[in-house]
Amino acid sequence: MEVYGSSGVSLREFGCEQSLLSRPDGSASFIQGDTSVLAGVYGPAEVKVSKEIYDRATLEVLMQPKVGLPSVRERSQEQCVRETCEASLLLSLHPRSSLTLILQVLHDDGSLLSCSLNAACMALMDAGLPMSCLFCGVTCAIDTEGRIITDPTAAQEKESRALMTFAIDSKEHRVLMSATKGSFSVNELQQCIAVSQSASEKIFQFYRDSVRRRYSKTL
Amino acid sequence: MRYKVKCVCDSFNPRKCLSFPLFLHTVRTAEPLEYHRSYLKENCRHDGRELSEFRTTTLNIGSISTADGSALVKLGNTTVICGIKAELANPTVEAPGKGYIVPNVDLPPLCSSRFRPGPPGEQAQAASQFIADVIESSEVIQTEDLCIDRGKLCWVLYCDLMCLDYDGNLLDACIIALLAALKNTKLPEVTINTETCSPEVNLEKRRELHVHKHPVGASFCIFDNSILIVDPMSEEESLCTAHLTVVTDEEERLCAVHKPGGTSLSGEKLQECITRAATRQREIQKLIDKVINSVKAAQ
Amino acid sequence: MPTDTKRVRGPEVSQSPSLFSCKPAAVLPPHGPRADGRQRDQVDVRPVFVRCGLVSQAKGSAYIEAGNTKLMSCVYGPRETERKDETDMKCGRLTTDMRFAPFSCPERGSWIQGSQDKDLSLMLHESLQPAVCLHKYPRSQIEVNVMVLENSGSVLAHAVTCASLALADAGIEMYDLVLGCSIRQDGSSHVVDPTYMEENSCGSVSSENQGGLTVAFLPSLNQISGLQSDGEMTEETLTAGVRTCIEGCYKLYPVIQQALAKAVRRAAAPPSES
Repeated sequence: MEVYGSSGVSLREFGCEQSLLSRPDGSASFIQGDTSVLAGVYGPAEVKVSKEIYDRATLEVLMQPKVGLPSVRERSQEQCVRETCEASLLLSLHPRSSLTLILQVLHDDGSLLSCSLNAACMALMDAGLPMSCLFCGVTCAIDTEGRIITDPTAAQEKESRALMTFAIDSKEHRVLMSATKGSFSVNELQQCIAVSQSASEKIFQFYRDSVRRRYSKTL
Repeated sequence: MRYKVKCVCDSFNPRKCLSFPLFLHTVRTAEPLEYHRSYLKENCRHDGRELSEFRTTTLNIGSISTADGSALVKLGNTTVICGIKAELANPTVEAPGKGYIVPNVDLPPLCSSRFRPGPPGEQAQAASQFIADVIESSEVIQTEDLCIDRGKLCWVLYCDLMCLDYDGNLLDACIIALLAALKNTKLPEVTINTETCSPEVNLEKRRELHVHKHPVGASFCIFDNSILIVDPMSEEESLCTAHLTVVTDEEERLCAVHKPGGTSLSGEKLQECITRAATRQREIQKLIDKVINSVKAAQ
Repeated sequence: MPTDTKRVRGPEVSQSPSLFSCKPAAVLPPHGPRADGRQRDQVDVRPVFVRCGLVSQAKGSAYIEAGNTKLMSCVYGPRETERKDETDMKCGRLTTDMRFAPFSCPERGSWIQGSQDKDLSLMLHESLQPAVCLHKYPRSQIEVNVMVLENSGSVLAHAVTCASLALADAGIEMYDLVLGCSIRQDGSSHVVDPTYMEENSCGSVSSENQGGLTVAFLPSLNQISGLQSDGEMTEETLTAGVRTCIEGCYKLYPVIQQALAKAVRRAAAPPSES
C-alpha cells in the first residue's frame, strides 16, 4: 500500500502486546497489518547435557507455521532469527543454561520474517533477558518498475521482483541479518539497506513507546 | 595451568614459532581463538592463505554414470558431490507449464564427526533451503524448460548434494557442484504417443539442459566483529562471530545476500564482499567451462 | 505415508524415465564373454583403484573404485560411547552404517535409509567385527561409515574391503585385513565380481543353482569372517563358489597392501626441509 517516496518510509500499521501469556517467562505478539506472530520465551533454564555450551547459554528457536508441521523453510528462518538473537543477547551471562524462543505464526500476510524478528525482540525484552542492543526486522520488496516497497503484503511480495529482509540493530543501525530472494543490483541492495535503516527508527520508536506505555501503567 | 598457556599466548608470534610444530599444536588446541587471532594480526591465516584468498578449487564432472548429471567439487579439503536424477511427474495445477527442481543437501556422519546419523539437522536443512532459494532467485534453470506436455507431464530434477568431507564453506562448494552438475545433465528425449497418450522415452538420444545463468557464491566470516576472511575452514567457522554468503551471476546481479544473523556489518565491508564475489564468479565460471570443454574433448 | 518435513519436497509421485523406454532393456547373453569383456567361470575380478586417507576430518578413510562401483568409507573413533547404558567395560563397540547415495543406482533411491541398507550395515558389521581387536578399546566405540556413490554390483564385497582399509588407515588394531569378493552363480556357469546388470538379470531358464555369494576373508589368517548367500545352490556349487571367492580375494590383496603401504609412507614422511 505504502510506497517509498521522498516523504519517508511508510510501514503498515503495527501493534504489539507484551506479557499476554502467563506460562512463558516472556511473551509478545506483534502485528504488522494483517501479519501477526506470537512469541514466547522460556529461560534461562536447565539445559540438556548434549546441548550444553560451557561458556554461554544455548538458544533454541522454534517456529510454528499457521497450519501443518514446520518444514525446511521454517528451519532456515529459525536459523536467521536464532543467530540474530544470539548476536544481541548477552548469552555469556548465563553459561550452561538454555533459552527457548517459540514463534507461532498466527497469520501470514507478507513480511513474515521481519514480523517474527520484531515479535522475538519484544518477547526477549519482556522476559528481561540482558541484551547488548535491540534489533528489528524490515522487509523491502522491489516491484517490477524498480520501486522499493517497505513492509509489503503477501500480494505485493508475489508481484515483486526481489524481496529482502534485514535485521537492524538499535545501536549503530547496521545490518545484523540479511535474507534475500530474487536477483537485484548492488545499487538496489544499498538503497534497500538505507530504506530499512530509516524504517528501523520508526520501529525502535514504537518499541520505546510501547514499553513506556506498559510501565507507566504498572509503576 | 590455564594461566601459563595464556601467558605464552600473549607473546605468541606464529612466524617465530614455525620451527616448533608441537608448541603450535598445543596453542591451537588450548587457545584456538588466540591462535587464529595471532595469525590474523599478521594479515595471514594459519594455512598460509591471505585473508581474501580462496582455497584451491578442483572440479570433476560426470564421474557418476548412474546419474543424469554429476559433479564433484573440492574446495581445499571440503568435498561435495552432486548427482542429478531426472524423473517424470505430473505438473501442479497452479503451474501447468512448469517442472520441478528439488535440491537437497545432506551432511552424513561420514563427512565429519560433528554430524550424527539420522534425519538432516538444522544446518543441512538450512543449506537445502538456501540452495533452493538460489535456484529460484538466479533462474539458473527455467522450470518452463522442464515441461514436456503442458498440464500433463514434466521433468523433476532431483539434485542431491552430499558432503563427503566437511572442512567449512559448505554453501560455496554446493553451489559450484550444483551448477557444474546441471551443465553436465543430459535429459533423454520424450515423445508422447498419440494413440495411447503415454510417454515414450528414448534413452539414447539426449539433449543438454539449458543453463541460463551462472550463479556462484562467495562466503565470508567476520572475526572479532571486524576482520573479514573469505572461504573459512570449519575451525574458523566455529570461532567467528558472523557468516555471510554473497551469490552473484555473470551479469553481476546479486542472487542472494545471505547473512543469518551474527555481528553487524558496515556498508563498506559489504561492498568489499560483493566485489570479491564478482571476481570469484568469473574465476569459477572459467573453471567450469574449462572442465566441461576438456570432458567434451575427451569424448 | 508421512511426509518428510526435513527435506525440500518434490511432487508426490514421480517415475523413472527408464520405465517408459521405447526400447526393451538389453538382455545379457548367458554364454560367452561378459558385457565388459571379462571371462566367465574364471576368477576375473575388475581392476580396482584404491586410495587411503582422502577425508581430512576422519581418523581414517578409504576410497575404492572397481569398474563403476564407487565406495567411500570413513572411520571415526575410538571415542566415548554415546549411550551410557551400552558402555562395555571390557570391550569396545564397533558400529557400522552403510548408505547408498540417492543417485547411486539406476533407479533413484530415497534419502531415508531402507531395509536393504540396514541389512547390508549388519552384514558389514558381522564381517568386520572378528578382525578388529575390540578388547584393546574398552568403553569406547569405533564408527565405520560407508557411502556408496555408485552401485555397479558387488557392493557388499567392496564395502568390506573398503571399510577394513579405512580401519587400518585409522590405526585401529586389527588381527588382519578383511577382503571381500562376490560371485553370481547362474546355472552351471558363474561370474566373479558381478556388475549391477549381472546381479539383477537371470540368464538361464533352469531354476537350479541360481544365486549370489559374498565372502569376507582374512587373507593372512586364512579365515572367513563373513559369508552371505542368497538363492538356491547345491552343496558342491556353494563350496566351489567359496573357493572361487577366496581366490578373488587373494587377487585383490597385493593392491590393498600397496595402497596401505603408500598411505603409511605418506603419513610417516620425513619432515621437509622448508
